[in-house]
Amino acid sequence: MNPIADAVKTHDVLITVGSGGVGKTTVAATLALRAAIEGKGSLVCTIDPAKRLANALGLEALGNAETPIPVSAYEKAGLKPGATMRAMMLDMKRSWDELIERRAPADKRDKILNNRFYQAMSSALAGSQEYIAMEKLWELRTQRDYPLIVLDTPPTAHALDFLDAPNRILDFLDNEAAKWLLTPALAAGKVGLKLFSFGSSYVAKTISRFTGAETLQELAGFMLAVSGLNEGFRERATETRALLAAKTTGFVLVTGPMPDRMDEAVFFHTLLRQNHLEVAALVVNRVHQPVPASQWAAAARLPDPVRRKMEQTLEESEALAAADARGIEKLREQCPGTPLIIVPRFEGDVHDLKALWETSKFLFG
Amino acid sequence: MSALAHQRLLIVTGKGGVGKTTLSAALALGSARRGLKTLVCEINTKERVTTLLGRPEVGAEIGSLEENLWAVNVRPAEAMREYALMTLKFESIYNAVFGNRLVGYFLRFIPSLAEITMLGKILYHLREKRPDGSNRFDRIIIDAPATGHAITFLSVPQVVIDTVPPGPLANDATWMRDLLVDPKVTGTVLVSLPEELPVNETLELHDALTQRVKLATTAAVLNGFIAPRFTAADRATLPPEVADVARVHELRAQLSADAEARLSKIPAPLVKVPRLYTPAFSRQAIEAVEKAIAPLLDRSAP
Repeated sequence: MNPIADAVKTHDVLITVGSGGVGKTTVAATLALRAAIEGKGSLVCTIDPAKRLANALGLEALGNAETPIPVSAYEKAGLKPGATMRAMMLDMKRSWDELIERRAPADKRDKILNNRFYQAMSSALAGSQEYIAMEKLWELRTQRDYPLIVLDTPPTAHALDFLDAPNRILDFLDNEAAKWLLTPALAAGKVGLKLFSFGSSYVAKTISRFTGAETLQELAGFMLAVSGLNEGFRERATETRALLAAKTTGFVLVTGPMPDRMDEAVFFHTLLRQNHLEVAALVVNRVHQPVPASQWAAAARLPDPVRRKMEQTLEESEALAAADARGIEKLREQCPGTPLIIVPRFEGDVHDLKALWETSKFLFG
Repeated sequence: MSALAHQRLLIVTGKGGVGKTTLSAALALGSARRGLKTLVCEINTKERVTTLLGRPEVGAEIGSLEENLWAVNVRPAEAMREYALMTLKFESIYNAVFGNRLVGYFLRFIPSLAEITMLGKILYHLREKRPDGSNRFDRIIIDAPATGHAITFLSVPQVVIDTVPPGPLANDATWMRDLLVDPKVTGTVLVSLPEELPVNETLELHDALTQRVKLATTAAVLNGFIAPRFTAADRATLPPEVADVARVHELRAQLSADAEARLSKIPAPLVKVPRLYTPAFSRQAIEAVEKAIAPLLDRSAP
């Protein structure tokens, strides 16, 4: 059986990963679409800050709400879904606010929401996007009953952060330093860190030469306010880690045929394996196909100058196909045991449901 | 004449996979060849600029590549250390304070500290002088992250100004922000490809950078441009085996023309870089791209 078709059938969470510009979002949307057409209800969720998914689904915009793909979009593509497909784009700031509103005790809620550090963290802080995406995946998996959730991730460097997010949160919560810093203040029930009261004022003074003393105090206030949430964070981080490693969760690694993209794919593949995460398939997208002999023969019979134009065009195609083939061979050697799926390059763009459906034929064999 | 030719800081960004690093390398090579002492910076990534230029990797220390050309891969830990040493003056104090596990733990929670120190290192080099009073670097090129992360990265000084109470960090963020938003000093170069999604993203990125981050777009570059080749008369003569080859070529040429038309809405010069068919992206490809972008770099019209 085709590894992608198999993965869609046997998994309830599929996560597409890879570097930017390789069609990862398109693959994510295609998996969800194919599932829905075949009668398995699906949700595709992108955490990419760029609005790519809406484009590919022919929708105007996507937000934090799980929105069904309109019937008209299927009709335009001549498709009949067997189940509902929904799509959403993670709104980072809103997801953070909802999380705090749900989890924080009433007396701490506003204090957290109004804290400058919280506001920066929830809207702009690098890395927090990956964490909230994990929270969202956990929420979608446990609070809803989608037969299939397809999660699209940001490009490689950040997708690594994404994999690491639950570990980092656990590390944060288990960190002796955090307990040491926070415990006395918690006991005294007031804002303050050991850093300031203890004999380490030399250290505190030195740090404040960079940040200003006020910054440290405000940060302390923030850490103190969120410390009550720790237990909940810990539970979910543990569960999310288990969810990623579950038998019914699979990763689909997407790459383009360009050498730099492939290097990153190999790196990512190694990392997933090291973390004992299942790579269901490695998709090489937009691969140039070699020129058939019949085309060379036909070109040779053309009169000048059309012959020269045609031969130049075929030479260009051949050069691209040869480069791609070399890359794929290397990739196969470096990722042994993982099924490789080659998707040829299409003419034009994949930017509507019909094109997604055509893509699915290559993915699913 | 393009404004870019006189800007000292060029920030190259765009959708993932559009050729930002290739263009950064070509801009750096072109600037150096025009006599400008040029530094090209990658941001905490797998180093590629040096390989593309056919040189050994330089890592996190500024390394010389050829006449007038230097490169560096800016990493947070090294940038943080340099920044700290600059402020503290003494390595022993740095080691005592920053070697402290508690401090390291604590610093992780200061919003965007890694980003501000990386950006700070780059902008410090922009202001850095030689003993004779001239600039150490006439031009710095940043191979910035892709769209959404570029917006986050470049917004960091403003975020720090809004978040961190007045103090040394906020002061540094202020001069950094002022340098970034000064169109006489800084310009962004948006890279795109002749496909619908990258073009959409380029237009959105232009809006976000100009409106939210207040950064001026100084040029747009359309990579992988395909020019029309077969006339209607040519195509009428083609046998069925190759008719499709010509059709596909012209379809791609049309996509290129559409992309050019849509990108021309950005009020900045648009440069087309022809699609390259070199076996690998190497020095040879960079040389070709450098020729294509010459109109952006030349200070006087030929």
